[in-house]
Amino acid sequence: MRVRGWVEQSVSLLVGIFVSLTLSFAGGTMPGQSQVVDLNGRRVEPLKVSPARALVLIFTRTDCPISNRYAPELKKLHEKFVASGVKFQLVYPGPDESVESIRRHIRDYEYWPDVLRDPRHELVKLTGVRVTPEVAVFVPDGSVFRMVYRGRIDDRYVAFGKMRPAPATRDLEQVLEAISKGRSVTKRTTTAIGCFIQ
Amino acid sequence: MAFTPSPRSASTLEPTFNKHIAPIIFEYCAACHHPGGSGPFSLISLADVRKRAKQIATVTRSRYMPPWLPEPGYAEFIGERRLGDEQIRLIQQWVDAGTPEGDPKDLPLAPQFNESWQLGKPDLIVRMPEAYTVPAEASNSGNDVFRNFVIPIPVASTKYVRAVEILPGNKQIVHHANILIDRTGSSRGLDEKDPGPGFGGMEVAIESETFEPDSHFLFWKPGTVPWVEPDGMAWRCDPGTDLVLNMHLQPSGRPEKIQAEIGLYFADKPQTVFPMLLQLEHDGALDIPPGKKDFVVTDDFTLPVDVDVLGVYPHAHYLGRDIQGFATLPDGTKQWLIRIRNWDLNWQAVYKYSRPISLPKGSVISMRYSYDNSAENPRNPNHPPKRVVAGNKSTDEMGHLWIQVLPRAKEDARPVLQEALMRQRLRKYPADFTAHFNLGAVLQASGRREEAISFLDKALQVRPDSYAAHTNLGAALQELGRADAAIAHYREALSLKPDYINARYNLGNLLLAQGKTEEAIRELREILRVKPDDAGTYNSLGSAFAMQGNLVEAASNYEQSLHFNPGSADAHSNLAYVLALQGKLGEAVSHYEQSLRLNPGNADAHNELGALLGRQGKLAQAIAHFEEALRLNPNHEGARENLKRARQMK
Repeated sequence: MRVRGWVEQSVSLLVGIFVSLTLSFAGGTMPGQSQVVDLNGRRVEPLKVSPARALVLIFTRTDCPISNRYAPELKKLHEKFVASGVKFQLVYPGPDESVESIRRHIRDYEYWPDVLRDPRHELVKLTGVRVTPEVAVFVPDGSVFRMVYRGRIDDRYVAFGKMRPAPATRDLEQVLEAISKGRSVTKRTTTAIGCFIQ
Repeated sequence: MAFTPSPRSASTLEPTFNKHIAPIIFEYCAACHHPGGSGPFSLISLADVRKRAKQIATVTRSRYMPPWLPEPGYAEFIGERRLGDEQIRLIQQWVDAGTPEGDPKDLPLAPQFNESWQLGKPDLIVRMPEAYTVPAEASNSGNDVFRNFVIPIPVASTKYVRAVEILPGNKQIVHHANILIDRTGSSRGLDEKDPGPGFGGMEVAIESETFEPDSHFLFWKPGTVPWVEPDGMAWRCDPGTDLVLNMHLQPSGRPEKIQAEIGLYFADKPQTVFPMLLQLEHDGALDIPPGKKDFVVTDDFTLPVDVDVLGVYPHAHYLGRDIQGFATLPDGTKQWLIRIRNWDLNWQAVYKYSRPISLPKGSVISMRYSYDNSAENPRNPNHPPKRVVAGNKSTDEMGHLWIQVLPRAKEDARPVLQEALMRQRLRKYPADFTAHFNLGAVLQASGRREEAISFLDKALQVRPDSYAAHTNLGAALQELGRADAAIAHYREALSLKPDYINARYNLGNLLLAQGKTEEAIRELREILRVKPDDAGTYNSLGSAFAMQGNLVEAASNYEQSLHFNPGSADAHSNLAYVLALQGKLGEAVSHYEQSLRLNPGNADAHNELGALLGRQGKLAQAIAHFEEALRLNPNHEGARENLKRARQMK
């Protein structure tokens, strides 16, 4: 009885926090009890300000063919910008994606191992991403991380099944170039094509 | 997700997964979207479909899925994978309503799929000799890899193939594949030149010196049951044939190994029905300025014979837009063959007609393709747009309409079709070597030697170093009795390619016909140095020695010829002749009999055999053969004499 009462209390506490989280996503800050976890199940607060120069959240799935075809490009960008202080994190929003399958995915595609799971779609809602792959770029702004870009990695996908043989505009790269050169970046969004995040 | 009834009248259909959506998904989607299938995810359960509900609604609404390029209402094809407007609407409605499950007893059985040979165990399985590692991403312009792999077919004797099945090895990487039949070994050269397994290129051209036109579409795309040729249409596969697997590969984001297998299914009887692939094209006119939105290429071909059209294969690269193929009948009727409004290279396919389309002689088959080389075309490989010409790189363009036709006449109409095609080609490309060469070959084969010679002469003006053209010209001249000119061309061919057996064989036989036995023997022996198992050469050598009176050598060479080709009526009767001269009547009789079994229409052999039987005292049998000889050739003086004498003796 006593245990149940205590659980009920903490459930209602979590619900309360969850509700306040959803209300505050427009501001881009996340208070204490986030459900975003790393692959070891530890809760993390990715948007808590850190020494990173910029933060790139890459929303992806293990079984999204569009996301997977972007793996070489993402690894190139990681290699290009990680030395200048840009932090890249892969975010798996699918509640159906197991830790084991994600670990296997990272191994198979030889991704850098900085991975978050977002089964409750907290980061999804906070950033407004709709599909995988879609990226969100944040820069430090005082004590918070402010989102300056959300959308596609580049414009090679025009629609489902309509692909350019090569991208004409590499949006993510352009944003990261500007940031790494210390230029100010005005907030921008683009439409990404990919598997819908449900 | 609770099912909330929509606030409409009771007669409105409220779709559920089990009753309305599952049948659609199972029929139109699951063939690729199942575990182990070509699709990147499965769609065989409610959970599968719910997980992707919004996506399914989007891709069906845009008709990206299921993939089916031909526009409805133009031609009817087998296996049309196209949703009706009502079905699309149902899907939208179902997703909007919150994907209700429905009554469990409504759910149809989920389809089962066999990831191994769908046609059962093949008669012969061959495999790409080496695995190929598809890179994580395409290195050149374009997102996909086009590569070709040569696969030798180890048959010991000629087989007739009624079906071909491809197991791609990795269904998610292999987007589609064509198989080309290479009877010449020319693609091995291309393979050797290109490092790594196989060789690159969107198309493969196979150079052939003999008339063996492409006749069958051998095509693989995901989600379809392999095609089995109708009765009598199995295609010939001789020893020494290679298959070239022309593959469209889609990188996945990580390196993937593929080593496809091909299963061959043999027919138990030879090919009796001979279709032919006609190609309409005008690649020479493909010169698309940058920015041009509607560049049109056309070709027209007038049918010289009645045909039934069995299938069609349109092909273009990234800039292709509106693909049209149609026929105009002699009475003016327009018969559509295919219309694709929004060409997509990724979903190119062979389309077979539900019912063959009959086209009478005189019908004009036309292709009309348009290309969009503007910056607004998202598929344009060049940014900014560049000038584009024909070629087999993905940044080049192509425009082909391949049509499989079955001539209605009983006689082999392929040479007639070939002649018409080559004449059309000449109109497009007046200085084209291939057209001149092929016309020369087909005219010569049909006995029009003077005309053949004029075309072969022109072919040599375009390409003076073509040993094949020199040889064919020599053969045409020889048949007209112009032996010295023929010999000159054979020798020219041999100076260009000393190991060109056709030229040396023709030369040897011509020298033999001129009675120049020593020279003939020299040339023929040279062939055996290069090709020690050439039965025809041994046969000719036998005749050379026979002419010199060297019966022992003659017999020995004929026997060698028969060793390598026991089915040669000619070699049997030649050997029989020599054996008879040597007094070996019994053996001679046996070989004449074998020769006549293989070629019962040889009047001379009947006559010779009759003579031997007569010498053996078997008059009745002898008379029968003399009579048969005269039946076959009423002017056979020798047989008439022999018959008279035999009847007198009886």
